[in-house]
Amino acid sequence: MERISKRLGCALAALTLLLCAGCAGTASGTEGADAPAETARRAETPEELYARALEEDVLVVYTVSTRVTAVKESFEAAYPGLCVEVRDLRSPDLIDAVEKNHAEGLAACDVVLCNDNSGDFKERLVDTGVVVPYLPEDIAPHMKEGLSGGVLPFVYEAELLFYDGGGFDACPIDNLWALTEERWRGRVYMPNPLRSFSTYAFCGATFEHCGELEEAYRDYAGRELSVPEGSSAAAVFWERAAKNIVFTNSSDEVAEALGNGDAAFGVMVSSKLRLRGVGYALEPVWRLEPFAGCRTSCAAMLAADARNVNCAKLFLRFLLGEADGAGAGGEPFRTPGTWSARDDAADGTDVPLTEIDLIVPDQERLIARRQELERFWTEVLKENTAGRS
Amino acid sequence: MKGRLVPVLLLLSLLAGGCAPETRPEPLRVAIPDSDHVQNPDTNYYVNWLEERTGLELEFVTIRRRDGEEYLDALFASDAEVDAVLFGDGFTIPEGALRRFAEAGELSPGEDGTFYYANYGDSVRHGPGQILWINCEWLGALGLSLPRTTEELRDVLRAFRTRDPNGNGVADEIPLAGSADDYACQPAELLLNSYVYNDPYHSRLTLSGGERKTAASENAFREGLAFCAALYREGLLDARAYERRASQLAELVNSPENLVGAFTTDSVSAVIYQGNPEILARYMHVAPLRGPHGAQNALYVEREPSVGAIIPARSKRQDDARRLLDTMLSEEASLIARYGEQGVDWEFSDGSDVSIYGGASTVVTKNYLWNTPQNKHLNGIGPMRVREEYLEGVTWNGVNSDAEYIDARARTSCRPYLPESGVFAERDEALSDYLDAAVRDFITGKREIGSDAEWNEYLSGLDALLRR
Repeated sequence: MERISKRLGCALAALTLLLCAGCAGTASGTEGADAPAETARRAETPEELYARALEEDVLVVYTVSTRVTAVKESFEAAYPGLCVEVRDLRSPDLIDAVEKNHAEGLAACDVVLCNDNSGDFKERLVDTGVVVPYLPEDIAPHMKEGLSGGVLPFVYEAELLFYDGGGFDACPIDNLWALTEERWRGRVYMPNPLRSFSTYAFCGATFEHCGELEEAYRDYAGRELSVPEGSSAAAVFWERAAKNIVFTNSSDEVAEALGNGDAAFGVMVSSKLRLRGVGYALEPVWRLEPFAGCRTSCAAMLAADARNVNCAKLFLRFLLGEADGAGAGGEPFRTPGTWSARDDAADGTDVPLTEIDLIVPDQERLIARRQELERFWTEVLKENTAGRS
Repeated sequence: MKGRLVPVLLLLSLLAGGCAPETRPEPLRVAIPDSDHVQNPDTNYYVNWLEERTGLELEFVTIRRRDGEEYLDALFASDAEVDAVLFGDGFTIPEGALRRFAEAGELSPGEDGTFYYANYGDSVRHGPGQILWINCEWLGALGLSLPRTTEELRDVLRAFRTRDPNGNGVADEIPLAGSADDYACQPAELLLNSYVYNDPYHSRLTLSGGERKTAASENAFREGLAFCAALYREGLLDARAYERRASQLAELVNSPENLVGAFTTDSVSAVIYQGNPEILARYMHVAPLRGPHGAQNALYVEREPSVGAIIPARSKRQDDARRLLDTMLSEEASLIARYGEQGVDWEFSDGSDVSIYGGASTVVTKNYLWNTPQNKHLNGIGPMRVREEYLEGVTWNGVNSDAEYIDARARTSCRPYLPESGVFAERDEALSDYLDAAVRDFITGKREIGSDAEWNEYLSGLDALLRR
């Protein structure tokens, strides 16, 4: 009954928010309210934030992770009277939506949780001030990398190669180039890199590691890689591998294909390892020549147009695990395939990031090469998805 | 005196000319259902496009009812002047129910004798028609895997019933819920497909060499019924699955109390409300279960078009109404009706995207409008005919909780288990009634599935119906 009342309260609050929005037009923020950018650096206790948050409306969170729905549940339980609405979007669509809202002066969201690896997030939302970081003073010393380029990563993941553990006792390859062999045609699944930021980051980052790819090819084939004029080892690799790859919309589809045995290999975000919990035989490839994937991270930021600044800050504190890192808000992100962004909180994965063959995308390079990479992938995708039904 | 009157008369005539009624034709009066997804029909992009294309001015009459039959009864009992009635977005009428109005001469027939304009659907028209959805929060809480076989499903359902997966300390869990309103919502129909191909929409009939054959007389069918009856006896299969309305099933599944372990449906949006990402994230689809003898089938359906619009026979503007509705069925109009404004909300794909069904894309959505409050189209209200290549080739909008994408993934997982096409017999209503009652009675224990006498009696009745 108590839960029903709370839901009713949330619904009424949401209605109030809508009515207020209707009455107030679409102006960003509220006159006299704290502006997020100005208050983001203030030291505030959770108690102070909670008291002020109770005066605010329903908190709106734009996220790329379905796990945030679990954070919402525990946040609403920890802070009675506060309500959270979660909008779960894929990274490119999230950035489009936040950017569009900002351009139109719509204060539509308060907190933004997004994959920040392709450079799009930084370039379009961080560098333009559409979102701002909020790092509480008592939590800051525990963040492994603090604010990285104005972005606050709250969890590390990887875009990683997996194999079907139901079909193979051990990983059947030890070199990335083996994925280009014809025997794997239609058995390698990967999200469309032009629609998945973490996949784009991995694919793009390989172009910065062509030397390693050439060396790996030498080990694999026993001869030098022939790279056509104007091309690169990465381009050659992907052009060959794409003939075997089934491109998907999301990592969920990759996990399903591995889970039901359709895929022998899949490139996907490492946090899908948690789907082993429902019986998918997903086996991560930790070691592979020259690399098995790339490190990725998710950023937690305040929307510059946030209406509910105090509630947003309280939510971000909660998500970061509060002062001691042990808070319930971080729990949904301590799952297999994740690594903590804090030095005082346990990773969700037994194998440390340092023991995995990962490359780290250089966002500035990805931004600089975007047109070239998009052109390349558009052609590769056209060639390898046409005629599929 | 006369001289003074002249300018006065001139002035009056000018004024009279200025006040003369315009010669524009009366607007066409179109009744459309109230919809949360259409902000204002008068300023709607699609409506404006239709007005421009047809040269007609449209005036909308809002329908507040949800039952199309009730509305038409009220309309034809009144003097209300309406030139066309549009159906959709929850306001529906079965084709059979329309026949009464046609026979009474209330509906204007088309040249081909049909008395309604069809809505050929807003989603893929053929493919898997029943999906099992399971509560993955409960699986996670209990450390269980997605079931792959009927036996594994039974184990999971037992755990759901006995181990308090919603954690409230009360044995209030419904392991496998259902509804009587549609075969797709009856879990037993899905489970039977793990024993023998079971298509209740076609009276469980197939054609073999032109002869009608039924799966319902096979031992595998009996074995499947026995499995379902055992689930029912154990309290694993919803005791009210043959009574509950679809809306009640939806209320249960959407309950914040987290009460339902699994359910079946054609589309997840038929049970889980859109805009409810927490509930949508709670359920995962399950690929067709393998039965004890290896049978693993997915139900194949071809979705019939629904009633999209009618023209009342008493309308004085029937030709204009027909022009409007014919225009709505054109490809250009239908693409606007489904996806919004070309170039702004969607565009034709250059082939570099992946569709929601995994193939090459044909339509890329830029602003995803379907089932959201918007003012670009009528959210499926009225006749429309979008080609299958677009419905199947549309890209994902990136929203994880989008029902169309969730359905597409689920249906894709069923495709390897669909039967070969061209083996379907026509539905036989008398046979369906007989079989539906028998399935229900054997599962709920009114008839004893283990009794050879009762089974033979059932087979005799079945044989008589097949021989008619």
